[in-house]
Amino acid sequence: MRKRHLTRVVGLFAAGALLLAACGDADDNGADDESVDAGEETVEDEAEEADPDDDGSGEAGAAVEDADFEVYALLPQGNDQPYGTTYLPPMEAAAEELGIALTITNSQYDADTQASDCEVAVAAQPDGIILWPAVGDTVRPCLQAANDAGIPVTITNSDVNEEDRDLTRGYSGPDTYGQGVASAELMCEFADGQDLGIIMINGLTGNSTAIDRENGFEDTINEQCSNVEILARQPGNWNADESQIAASEMITAVGAPNIQGVYAADDTMVAGAIDALRSRDIDPTELIITSIGNTFLGNPLVIDGELDGTVFQSSSWDGENAVTLMHEVLTEDPQDRLVRFMPDVKVTVDNAEDEDVAPEW
Amino acid sequence: MSSQAPAPTTPHPSPARAEDEPEATPFKLSAWLSTQGIVIFTIALVLFAVVFVDGFASLPNLTDVFNRAAPIGIVAAGMTFVVISGNYLDLSVVAQVATAAVVLIAVTNAVGLLPAILLAIAIALVYGLVNGVAVGVFKANAVIVTLSTTFIGLGLLRWLTGGSIYFGDSDGPIRTFGTTRIGPLPLSMVLFVVVTILLSLVFTRTNFGFMVRAYGSNREATRLAGVNTPAVVIGAFTMSALGAMLGGFVLAAFSNTAVSSMSDGYDFRALAAIIVGGTSVFGGRGSVMRTLLGVVFVSVLTNIMVLTGLGFGFQQMAIGLLIVLAVSVDALARKTRSS
Amino acid sequence: MSATESTSPAGEQTPASDGLIERGRRILSRRTEGRAVGLLMVVWVFTLLFEPLVWTSYEVTLGRIALVGLVALGLTAVILMGELDLAVASTLAVAGVIMASFDNLLLGVIAALATGLLVGAVNAFFVVIVGINSFIATLGMLFFLRGAAFVISGEQPVRIADVDAGIAFGQPVIGPLTPRMLIFIVAFVALYIFLSHIRVGREFYAVGGNRQAARDAGIPVTRRVFTGFMISGFISALAGVVNTLERTAADPTAGSTVLLASFAAAIIGGVLLNGGRGSVFGTLIGASALGMLQVALTLSGVQVDVQNIVIGGVLLLAVITDPASLRAATVTARSLMQGRAAQQDTGGVRLFAHRHPRWGPHVHRTREMTRCASDT
Repeated sequence: MRKRHLTRVVGLFAAGALLLAACGDADDNGADDESVDAGEETVEDEAEEADPDDDGSGEAGAAVEDADFEVYALLPQGNDQPYGTTYLPPMEAAAEELGIALTITNSQYDADTQASDCEVAVAAQPDGIILWPAVGDTVRPCLQAANDAGIPVTITNSDVNEEDRDLTRGYSGPDTYGQGVASAELMCEFADGQDLGIIMINGLTGNSTAIDRENGFEDTINEQCSNVEILARQPGNWNADESQIAASEMITAVGAPNIQGVYAADDTMVAGAIDALRSRDIDPTELIITSIGNTFLGNPLVIDGELDGTVFQSSSWDGENAVTLMHEVLTEDPQDRLVRFMPDVKVTVDNAEDEDVAPEW
Repeated sequence: MSSQAPAPTTPHPSPARAEDEPEATPFKLSAWLSTQGIVIFTIALVLFAVVFVDGFASLPNLTDVFNRAAPIGIVAAGMTFVVISGNYLDLSVVAQVATAAVVLIAVTNAVGLLPAILLAIAIALVYGLVNGVAVGVFKANAVIVTLSTTFIGLGLLRWLTGGSIYFGDSDGPIRTFGTTRIGPLPLSMVLFVVVTILLSLVFTRTNFGFMVRAYGSNREATRLAGVNTPAVVIGAFTMSALGAMLGGFVLAAFSNTAVSSMSDGYDFRALAAIIVGGTSVFGGRGSVMRTLLGVVFVSVLTNIMVLTGLGFGFQQMAIGLLIVLAVSVDALARKTRSS
Repeated sequence: MSATESTSPAGEQTPASDGLIERGRRILSRRTEGRAVGLLMVVWVFTLLFEPLVWTSYEVTLGRIALVGLVALGLTAVILMGELDLAVASTLAVAGVIMASFDNLLLGVIAALATGLLVGAVNAFFVVIVGINSFIATLGMLFFLRGAAFVISGEQPVRIADVDAGIAFGQPVIGPLTPRMLIFIVAFVALYIFLSHIRVGREFYAVGGNRQAARDAGIPVTRRVFTGFMISGFISALAGVVNTLERTAADPTAGSTVLLASFAAAIIGGVLLNGGRGSVFGTLIGASALGMLQVALTLSGVQVDVQNIVIGGVLLLAVITDPASLRAATVTARSLMQGRAAQQDTGGVRLFAHRHPRWGPHVHRTREMTRCASDT
């Protein structure tokens, strides 16, 4: 299946090289060769690598030669982000096991690109569409179009708005708002009634996950522990280096003695913030620091006692369940909307070394 | 040979630029004026911050300013050569910075520091060569060439690495580089200054730097003077690639992590710094030192806004406004002087 | 005579005695869309053979072309005058956010479009009145307007007041054509007529080709530049309105891929970045080639990173295999072999004019021609 597609790409390249070269009285040159080589080499390697896929389970009556179902997965990230990198392999593995041929797109959080990908997907008439909304507010037309075409849609990673849910057959993934809530609960617990001034480092400005987590955290702080006060906030763009500089600048702005805590919307950024504290000779263990992720970067910090608490997000759970949920919809046709929340496990020094919260990304 | 090369003035100024660069103003005077413009702006901004912004004039904060400036500044210093050669910008620095950062950390972890650096240098040379040959020999448009190499470069990086995030050893050489201080100054800041001075010397004191300027001012005349113009273009893109590589090293060392999306936006941010510094986007006019000033200006500005608690939206608005204002004042001053 | 040729009056000297084929060949060789046509044909062959769905679901393909191409059309008007508009994507975002902030849809649309015109006028003000380079002015606006979109929206997506109207807007109205495609077609036809058949529009080429000469010839350059930037601002805002309506919400981060895709479409379509040469027809072909390639690659199911490598490779091949690029490479190769002495004897201007007779004997334009060659 994949090999056939790859042949097409190689075909495109060969045709492109021939036709474009025919445009002029060409003689060859270094750059020309180089670019063609790079492309072809890549594609061929991929073809080799993809070979084992052809041995996948093949059954009669399927939409394509060797899969029971053809499913489009419209994602806003992939190998360009650490989370997407570890989300994809379990997703692809689950799909292969269940006989689902996946076509994956990556809109890089551009809602218009994703909408256009959605039109392409609907036109291809697959058995189902798995959607990870780039921007939650913008997906209704896509859901409507898929519904009109009779294609079931399931949502992964971040759920659509309340009023759009009747157009979808299910959701699996973390409760992104709930993650903010859980991190705030940890903060409240550690603060234990004392007055606490904290700085807040958020994700990429305008990004839905960043918005949900920020709201979840802030709402919970306001409701449950008004003794915690957010003194300053800046985006860290999911990046350790930008977070480090922003944290350091906020320390300057607020004054180090006034800060007793730090919240960052993910572990990569909290690592940057902890570096910022260290480089100013502030002992991070003396501050109350919470975050979200429990990643390879965050987990050791929890064990060292520098990061007081984080919320486990399993990218493999997320990727795998996106496919298994769709498979359930396709095979069992349930009447109700299926919802599978990733458990929001709070990770502190007490359970950081447990097997079931082993970091994944 | 270079003595016969044309002076970097424009005998037949392109009409599109007639207003920007009145012929009546000699090249050196206008260069001096625009450098002064950004110097005055930067000094004014720093003075304003020292007086009105609490905590600005403290050592940790100045370290933050330079931490902000170092990676983008090194990238911009290299890219200045491409801009001055009249080739607009090098969009592929986005891919180059990410590749250098990932190679530095991933290969150091797997093999060692030296192979990582050598591989990164080799990759930078390939970028310089591919971009330079396509633009210099095939005379293809630099914007579209570097856009394609960005697609190819990022695609290859993500496809070959699977896109993972890489962490350096917590006590490895990269971490040491990132945390070492010389006196009170972080090593990255020292590196930033040294690289800028080196690139500036290449720019002002070597034949190559002279030819880049000459080529940016008047391609045809430079070619007629017997200059190997494709080599000049390849050289300019190679300087940009080496700058992007060093910028990637500094970025990776600073946080001890590398991921392929860490350099998003470096293309236009570097260009903004170059332009604010007073380098002409149509080539010929400008210098590496001006880029240094531009980078410092933008970093100080961002720093002030974070210190005063302004949100991201306001930061972007202010940066945009100041780019236009800084250059407007300069343009109006020159207009008045020439008339 | 075609609008694309306004700056090459020498082309009119073609003797009438030439054979029809020879004349046809010359007309073709004067066109600037060759590379785009080549690329489009490759994509056609490829899709016909391997992804016929690109053709059978043509409404989807058209939608993608309209998405890639609309902003590129407005950009073309500015680039023809030798200026640049880097603010298109930010204009798109801010227009969408402003539109969604109004409770009344119609008022919102009017406000958004007016914003686009205003942005264009401000850009033009800085470029022709203050006298700063358009690259810088619009780079400043790129940051400023993006920031404004965040500030106005409160850094969150804004849903439009009437979601149902938005969904209805995404539905086909004539045959399979949705309002987006109709708007794209109308914008294309209007700009095509404007730039090739209306004097004001044809003067854009003169402004981009040689501004001083245009001024000497009595063309109101300042007004033309204002018109050009306002067209670009208006069309970007229109794209923002269309996107926001279709998505039922405005996103302050919208348009992240628009700027570079529009530039790619225009440049592939043969529009010269230094002005004076190109056509909206070329931009249309460029956008079509890119849009179809994207749809085909999505359907192919190849891994996204490999798709990007393919798109980058095709773009790079397209620019370096352009006839002018290959000629330039041949000249370089030849001069390397013959040594530089010979080159100096020839006298460069003469050499250049000799190699490209169609550019005519205007020696004072040599510099632009060098640029021409470098930008194809």
